[in-house]
Amino acid sequence: MEYAIEISGLTKKFGNFVAVDNLDLRVKVGEIFGFLGPNGAGKTTTIRMMCGLMRQTKGSIKIYGYSIPEERNELIKITGYMAQRFSLYEDLSVYENMEFFGKLYGLNGKNLENRILELLEFLDLKDVRRRLAGRLSGGMKQRLALGVALIHRPKLLVLDEPTAGVDPPIRRAFWEYLRGLNKEGTTILVTTHYMDEAENCDRIGLMNRGRLIAEGTPKELKRRVFGGDIVEVVLHGYVQEGTLEGVANLKELAYRDGDTVLRVVLKDASRELPALLRRIDGMGLKIISAEPINVTLEEVFIELVTGRIEKVAL
Amino acid sequence: MRLMAVVIKELIQLKRDPRSLVMIAMIPLIVMLLFGVGYGGGMGKISVAVVNLDKESLSWTVLDSIMKTPSVYVKAYANSIEEGRELVKNGIVSAAVVIPEGFTTELMRGASTQVLVIVDESITTISSTIRNAMLAVTYKFQQELVRSVQGSSVELIYSSVYGPKVTNLEAFTPLVIGIVLQLVPTSLISIAICKEKERGTFEQLIMSPISRFDIIFGKLLAFFIATIADMLITLMVAVWIFDVSMRGPLIDAMIISTLFLLGSLGLGMLISVLSKNQLQANQAAIFIFIPALLFSGALMPIEMLSPSARILANLTPMYYFVSAFRDIMIKGFGLWQITWQMFALLVYMALMMVSAPLVLRLRVD
Repeated sequence: MEYAIEISGLTKKFGNFVAVDNLDLRVKVGEIFGFLGPNGAGKTTTIRMMCGLMRQTKGSIKIYGYSIPEERNELIKITGYMAQRFSLYEDLSVYENMEFFGKLYGLNGKNLENRILELLEFLDLKDVRRRLAGRLSGGMKQRLALGVALIHRPKLLVLDEPTAGVDPPIRRAFWEYLRGLNKEGTTILVTTHYMDEAENCDRIGLMNRGRLIAEGTPKELKRRVFGGDIVEVVLHGYVQEGTLEGVANLKELAYRDGDTVLRVVLKDASRELPALLRRIDGMGLKIISAEPINVTLEEVFIELVTGRIEKVAL
Repeated sequence: MRLMAVVIKELIQLKRDPRSLVMIAMIPLIVMLLFGVGYGGGMGKISVAVVNLDKESLSWTVLDSIMKTPSVYVKAYANSIEEGRELVKNGIVSAAVVIPEGFTTELMRGASTQVLVIVDESITTISSTIRNAMLAVTYKFQQELVRSVQGSSVELIYSSVYGPKVTNLEAFTPLVIGIVLQLVPTSLISIAICKEKERGTFEQLIMSPISRFDIIFGKLLAFFIATIADMLITLMVAVWIFDVSMRGPLIDAMIISTLFLLGSLGLGMLISVLSKNQLQANQAAIFIFIPALLFSGALMPIEMLSPSARILANLTPMYYFVSAFRDIMIKGFGLWQITWQMFALLVYMALMMVSAPLVLRLRVD
């Protein structure tokens, strides 16, 4: 099967408020797909509809070929879910929580015990297995929630803001776990509003006000928004703006310490940069340095939602 | 086996929740003991004032028999009707008995005479007790008077069925057990579902392959195991500490109590499924308890209620429980003699058990 998730025309209305607006989305099997967007963009609502936790107003959802909500029972068997809010039993211990959910998935006896021990090992929770979930630190809670989501070896992992409110080093460690799982073949759908995290995804979808406003690999998105890669070239001395007309697609020109700083847009920096430098060199200008600028997704997102979107054909 | 997983999980959670433990164990004990202290001791007496305007021989006889009546005692004497009325009005006494001037003389002449009783009607139990006491006083006085002049008279003789004597404590035991068996399980379980919704655990729970029946009946079974204690505590306190006589088989009383307990749990579960949060659920549990108490037939026998109220009573499970329990405890009936109440309680239980899983939706909204 090619697609793990196929959504078309998905709409959810709460009264007059349109939370999700005619959303189309496809996620391939084996991908890490990141759902990005500010709070209230409609990410959680979309995820809840995908999991059959909420009825869609309109549109079709297929998860591994199963129609949702009709075939929700099948979905549940192959999906691991981690809700936005910590939603395990705080008055049960780490082990008891995993044991309970394991039993719900039909595991028992030695099988269940081995699976729990395996996950405790993988998620580094062995030492706190007897601790009540309510007494865990934020990072541990998050790992426990991941452990419960993984107990039945799901093909698809759906994580709703798994890293919200967790310190950056712990967030990074959490992504290590996700990448490890993905290598073993688990398809992952993850929402976040931390743009830096999205760089870890194979593909991302940017959501704003219920709509998917852009979709693609992080690199593609940046290129599409800015029309390509951005390269910063520093030239010796004072170079006038008109001088470079026709030589390069100039985005910005500034002066720093008596030198000229150019920001140039190239469709594909790795191929076109040498030619550009040769052209500038051929004009007799002295190049001090040239390097591709690492545009963050945050900049992409701001670019998109502040309405400069019209400039770019998406 | 998902059901058993839920049962075990719920029992672990109950064990770790001090609030629930207190509710399960302490509330029935406290209610039963308070009730025992309140209703178990001897009867109190109602105060009266006497206005003796006669002061002749027969008036002293009347006064004497008032003083011998167990339910009243003479607290004050007054010199005029107005003074007696004032004492009642000011709440110093509950009634004033006025023996008129010439009481003895009139009776000696063979004429009729009257005794005026001024009653505070604000508390009906007190006023009716006084009426009964004064009837008894007059009745006894007349018997003696007739005997002294060798006239003929009619005497009342009582013979009891289910007697000889049912104490106040025994009369109210079925109601108190009913109160405990409705209030505690219902309010305890009423938060079972909405607590999960409030804490967000419901969302995770329903992302696993669990059915609504597993959720509902798993929880019901766990709470049933826990609240069986309430049934045992209330019955044991009644039998061993209050020493109420259980004339029918104890096992039958336990069966009836278990039926009612299961109904209460089902009711609480339904409340929980319908409530948005724990506060709402708690309030609903208490609110539903009020009509149950009013129409239980224990505060006021339902024969004495208006026809419309009687219909309500007939729809009140507590009424069937109290009447079934009373029949077993006081009349010494067995289950086969209370089949109608049994049937009603079974229907109630079944309805409650079925409706909760039908109403529950495995969604978050």
